[in-house]
Amino acid sequence: MTFRRVLIANRGEIAIRIARACREAGIESVAIYSDADRNAPHVAAADRAIRVGPPPSSQSYLSVPAVIEAARATSCEAVHPGYGFLSENAAFASACDQDGLTFIGPPAAVISRMGSKVAARQLMTDAGVPVVPGDTPRDQSDSGILQSAERLGFPVLVKASAGGGGKGMRAIRERGAAVESIAAARREAISAFNDGTLYVERLIERPRHVEVQIFADAHGRVVHLFERECSIQRRHQKIIEESPSPALTPSVRSAMTDAAVAAARAAGYINAGTIEFLLEGSGDNSRFYFLEMNTRLQVEHPVTEAVTGVDLVRAQFVVAAGGELPWTQASLTQRGHAIECRVYAEDPAAGFLPQAGTLLMYREPAGPGIRIDSGVVEGGTVPVHYDPLLAKLTASAETRDAAISRARVALQVFPILGIRTNVPFLIRVLDHPDFRSGRLHTGFIDEHASDLLKTAPAPLEAVAAAASVSAESSLASASARSTIADPWSSIRGWGR
Amino acid sequence: MVEHSRVGALRVARRIVIRDGQQQHHVTVDENGSVIVDGVSLHIAAGTGGDVRIGENGSVRAWVAAAGDTRWVYLDGHVYELDVEVAGRRRRSASGPGSLSAPMPATVIRVEVSPGTQVHRGDTLVILEAMKMELPIRAASDGTVASVSCKPGDLVQPGMPLIEIE
Repeated sequence: MTFRRVLIANRGEIAIRIARACREAGIESVAIYSDADRNAPHVAAADRAIRVGPPPSSQSYLSVPAVIEAARATSCEAVHPGYGFLSENAAFASACDQDGLTFIGPPAAVISRMGSKVAARQLMTDAGVPVVPGDTPRDQSDSGILQSAERLGFPVLVKASAGGGGKGMRAIRERGAAVESIAAARREAISAFNDGTLYVERLIERPRHVEVQIFADAHGRVVHLFERECSIQRRHQKIIEESPSPALTPSVRSAMTDAAVAAARAAGYINAGTIEFLLEGSGDNSRFYFLEMNTRLQVEHPVTEAVTGVDLVRAQFVVAAGGELPWTQASLTQRGHAIECRVYAEDPAAGFLPQAGTLLMYREPAGPGIRIDSGVVEGGTVPVHYDPLLAKLTASAETRDAAISRARVALQVFPILGIRTNVPFLIRVLDHPDFRSGRLHTGFIDEHASDLLKTAPAPLEAVAAAASVSAESSLASASARSTIADPWSSIRGWGR
Repeated sequence: MVEHSRVGALRVARRIVIRDGQQQHHVTVDENGSVIVDGVSLHIAAGTGGDVRIGENGSVRAWVAAAGDTRWVYLDGHVYELDVEVAGRRRRSASGPGSLSAPMPATVIRVEVSPGTQVHRGDTLVILEAMKMELPIRAASDGTVASVSCKPGDLVQPGMPLIEIE
């Protein structure tokens, strides 16, 4: 029971990850690309590729008609949406169903229910899973949102009701700053999700973000694959994730994973999903609250793959094709420790401002216990239109300390030049004494910003290294490189 | 993989100034792989992975890339963006002191001011959007808007002036 040909409705590292899984499973893969991505590595990674539109994602990767047409034109049987883009778009999942395409993910009705914060909370409350106090005000005007915030008590979080990934999310600590934040959250919500409905909830101070990977098949089996701690975030987006969480005691882990399985059952879930929780307090007395469900494969899924030894994407194909889950709960164990560092083209010193441009140098590290999932190559361009994630470095080792050291050493030999990235920042997070001792919370980066953003003058060795290269030689090699990077475009001519 | 860095070996000795923010370094590069930085002589050789090895036994490893007058260096987990001063060429600077420019390629979504508007330091003047995030451009000082050179919907490039303030 499997597919013959699958459309990968995504780009970058996740499209390459899925193409690799296809090849291993003997499935033909078809990539899609916008005009900005004609020469992108994910196009070369798949067996075939098809253009879906101009660079703006609304006209390419986010266009339901364009993606469905691409699947039809290439005779695909199924579509893997990856994460982001159309992955949590119920209308897209329905469109796939209507077109006879298998959407590799949960049923459209489940996406739509879990995508609505209100419906998801109600479902969780009914299933006995604790939730954070909050609501979606019926009166969506600024004053309606404000009244709701005052009823819950400041500080509050205002976020896109249709949201995810931190887009359209604002913390409001006092009435004074509220109106501008509400307006900004609404604009971002409309721009990202085409829906300006806002949700207000009590802000839990210094929480940890701990989530549980679950997996369900169409035959009624639901398992969990343990937790990931994702407390290291900037702009409400994760940059370092690990498993196990240094915060969970066995009894809390057991309660949280039970709650996650109960949540997945209540939702009628099928395929891979994640239940996100906020964790408050410490030890056996810590409390957790349902935050949201991500009805898709997560960016940080390699962390789970590293500690459980399973292949989540391969299992997604099996389950989407109607097969049974390849594992029982008893067969799953959490072994060793894994840490993922997300490498972004962004400038931490400028509020993590996304960066775009050409990668003059990009060399990946390798070694035992190091996994790199990347979507870029040296000489390639990071376009302005999409998420600036370049690569994910996952280090796994016997213990948390060993995994941290391994990640740190690998990052130190991961030169990315020509565009600012967060690599030096990630190293400083890994080196921070509070990170080393596992004292994490979602405000870690803001709290330690001054330590983490420290800069030092260039040592004499760096100046000497700079003097050893001239622009002419580097430009010459850059143009030589671009002709080397190009053979894919000529190879693509032959029947791909 | 094409060798990335051509170490000075092919060229004759040259003197350059390398700028690290406010700091200046006087550097002499000679033809046999020696670099003298502020009077300190350092041996430098090409490594095998596009890197350079610095010091007598090559104990310090760095990676370098050049873009115009900028040299990007990765060393010991830090990235340095250094500028090589070339005689007769001024460092690029698209904007004057009272000018606010785009920090990156972005789309203008709102312009909050027009010529003649009195602004205070920290006021939001323009809102850009890039990669689905809003980037407010704020006044760096008090003053009056002299000119506005963008409108909603414009695609702006880094360094392109958006607003002039007097």
